[in-house]
Amino acid sequence: MKRKVWLSCLSAVLVVSLLAGCSKSADKESPSASATDGGTKKEEKVTFTYFNAAAGKDKNTNETTIGKILEEQTGVNFKLEHLVGDENTKVGTFIASNAYPDVIVPGNSIDKLVGAGAFIPLNDLIDKYGPNIKRVYEPYYNLMKAADGNIYFLPMSAIVGDYLPAPNVDQGAFWIQRRVLKEAGYPKIKTLDEYLNLIRDYTKKHAEEKLTGYLALTTQDKFFAFTNAPMHLAGYPNDGGVIVDMKTHKANDYGDDDITKRYLQELNKLNAEGLFDKSSFVDNYDQYLAKIASGKVLGFFDYRWQAGQALSNLHEAAVKSGNDDLEYIGLPIVYDKDTKDQYLDPPSFVNNRGIGISISAKDPERIVRFFDNLLTDENQILSNWGIKDQTYKVDDKGRFYRPAEMVTETNAEAFRESFGFKYFEYNWPRYGNGSTLPDGNSAGAGRQPEVAQMSYTEGDKKLLQEYDIKSFSGLFAAPDDRPWYPAWSIPVEQGSPAQIFTQKKGDLQRKYFPKLVLAGANEFDGLWEEYFKEFNKLDVKVYEDLITAEVAKKIENAEGKK
Amino acid sequence: MRDIEPLSPAQVDALPLPPGRKSFFKKLVQQKTLVFMSVPFLIWLFIFKYMPLWGWTIAFQDFRANRKVFDQHWVGWKHFKFLFQDEHFFLVLRNTLAMSFINLVLGFFTAITLAILLNELRNIAFKRVVQTISYLPHFISWVVAASIISTVLSADGGIINELLMAVGLIKEPILWLGVGKYFWGILGASEVWKNVGWNTIIYLAAITTIDPAQYEAAEIDGAGRFQRIWHVTVPGLKPVFIILLIMNIGSLLESGFEPQYLLGNGMNVDYSENLDIFVLKYGIQMGNFSLSIAAGMFKTVVSFILLFSANHIAKRLGEDRLF
Repeated sequence: MKRKVWLSCLSAVLVVSLLAGCSKSADKESPSASATDGGTKKEEKVTFTYFNAAAGKDKNTNETTIGKILEEQTGVNFKLEHLVGDENTKVGTFIASNAYPDVIVPGNSIDKLVGAGAFIPLNDLIDKYGPNIKRVYEPYYNLMKAADGNIYFLPMSAIVGDYLPAPNVDQGAFWIQRRVLKEAGYPKIKTLDEYLNLIRDYTKKHAEEKLTGYLALTTQDKFFAFTNAPMHLAGYPNDGGVIVDMKTHKANDYGDDDITKRYLQELNKLNAEGLFDKSSFVDNYDQYLAKIASGKVLGFFDYRWQAGQALSNLHEAAVKSGNDDLEYIGLPIVYDKDTKDQYLDPPSFVNNRGIGISISAKDPERIVRFFDNLLTDENQILSNWGIKDQTYKVDDKGRFYRPAEMVTETNAEAFRESFGFKYFEYNWPRYGNGSTLPDGNSAGAGRQPEVAQMSYTEGDKKLLQEYDIKSFSGLFAAPDDRPWYPAWSIPVEQGSPAQIFTQKKGDLQRKYFPKLVLAGANEFDGLWEEYFKEFNKLDVKVYEDLITAEVAKKIENAEGKK
Repeated sequence: MRDIEPLSPAQVDALPLPPGRKSFFKKLVQQKTLVFMSVPFLIWLFIFKYMPLWGWTIAFQDFRANRKVFDQHWVGWKHFKFLFQDEHFFLVLRNTLAMSFINLVLGFFTAITLAILLNELRNIAFKRVVQTISYLPHFISWVVAASIISTVLSADGGIINELLMAVGLIKEPILWLGVGKYFWGILGASEVWKNVGWNTIIYLAAITTIDPAQYEAAEIDGAGRFQRIWHVTVPGLKPVFIILLIMNIGSLLESGFEPQYLLGNGMNVDYSENLDIFVLKYGIQMGNFSLSIAAGMFKTVVSFILLFSANHIAKRLGEDRLF
């Protein structure tokens, strides 16, 4: 009998532990109740959770120099979590469980989060606790408000002060290896033909080196790097899947247009000559980066921030060896001589990216105050420039600059992580790229001409001299004014016909584009016809109409307020 | 303690059928300790297997996570219609079934063969080494395995291409993952490489239950080694084989997700995209949970039918069966 009692006890314990396992542990690090009644007392330290839908190292902000200073000011620490794997899947699980990190910086899943009601409206909180937030963002309120009039997240591109263009190419470009230009005697090239011919000549002369003429990135969600190229070649900035006519302001999906056909045909020819890397269509992102970093690839189209890791590796190697032959330079290549290139971003307000406070956050007021504190001039200097005489200097005219060794130090990845630039210069409420401080200095260190000049290597300087430009973006035409830019930031409702169209279009292009590029020359036209027919079976009009309508709204908004 | 001693199946079958409810409760009280012990598992089963079924209602709504249950928009069969009217869906279904079928046949064949071969080995050390090596890939995550596979198959310097070229079978490297037709084969081979060792475990266990007297008898009757395998080992494996077959047929619509997702690309999408990827793309990634649930329900229903028919056929043929 004793044993029976023992057994029943055991099973009782099992039941209880099972139930305990199900009930959510209620006392999970509740942010220690803020001790402020009047706000004068030093507040207790709190830690909030912060999720950034980009890859990175997980850290506490107070483990970085900048984060530590901010913690001293506000008593707030953030536990940073970065994305591993697929963003939409991760965010999908947040939504399904209805449990979110306190602060979220989503990528393209932002509409999904807003749609699911994951963010709290910030309007009242800003009015009460965010004078600085208001100062920075008020000019953009019209663009930030959701259909219900609420502001759910703070975008990161609100420009403060005068607009300062970027000295270096940080967007899309046709990249070419410097040795190719060097050997050809630094020709000024503009058209795709010229660009590809340079590559053809170089590979012919160096046949024994087993070089790759042209590489493309097509993997998973980075496929746009392939499909966007025709848009740029036709002289448009990155509006995503559409080109917006400058006069009629009508959006046109160029997926079935001649500009796309032309790009594919050029690649098809290149492939027939053995200059196109066939593996482009099966390689994953890592393999792609490794190929660029290997220095064997002569040319490719991509965005600086996407190929950045490989380009930085090459740059670091070049700095060490003093030979920059394997480094790249970005060129504004277009189809025809008389087309004006539009690779550089017009001053724009990206209103579908930003940082929001989730409904799971227990003390949103405190977070808003932290945000507000970030948006002072001093703290913007702190998160972008760092600490005076440690990471930047001020000359007698009050201009900020960095001597060469500081440039090297602050560019080193490890330092950027430990000091916190990596975590604070973006992904928070901030002065957008191109903003200036009241004293005329650039808000971001990268756009300060003094810093850019200082960071150039001997090879860079030689190249700049050959092309008679001051900085690398000097090769590019100035961006035209496009108040709707970027059209890709127009939200498309989840599961709507327009969204299903974009998914189906993607599927179709993923299937046909490799075929078109790798086909024999005589099969190309037939395949294109087939693709064209399939494409037009899809409901492209729904999508174009939606974008056209939203573009019109954005133009109205922009004209209405300034 | 005799009252909680479990009865063997044979004994249970031999018991006279209890007449009615009264004796049922009598038995219940008699075996209360057993009943009590199984309660936690019943609760577990209920919470994790039955409660989620409530979520099936989502398939009939335009589900939005922030709406309360009663505020959801009910849309009837809309999501099922979307599924079945999409021509893509049938392609995806074909791929799913084909890949499952290939995995099923290859999986059984290779595992049983390897198990028999291992069993015939007399050198224990060698046997252990082979077993360990063949298990190992099972513990590699598919993410890593997919990288290994795509490197091996790579057109620039992948070992397969190098080998074939060295032997002179092909003149220039083949883009293995870029040709749709090859995908099922590549997947089948990868699955075998990854799982064959693991799958042999159960057969090796089954072989040890075969009465050695049968082998001795066969030997005395003059059966050679192959005859002993064919007439003793293989029939001995049949019950396990049938049970596993029934269970695997029940999950024919689960052809795996990671390998197809990781090895798939635009060029082989016509062969690599299966039901799970379709659901990921049009359901979860678009925030359309309703569609995902609808597809899940479809899978469950089909699996249910397959399982029961396989079981029924086994029963008709007089073989061992699941239930």
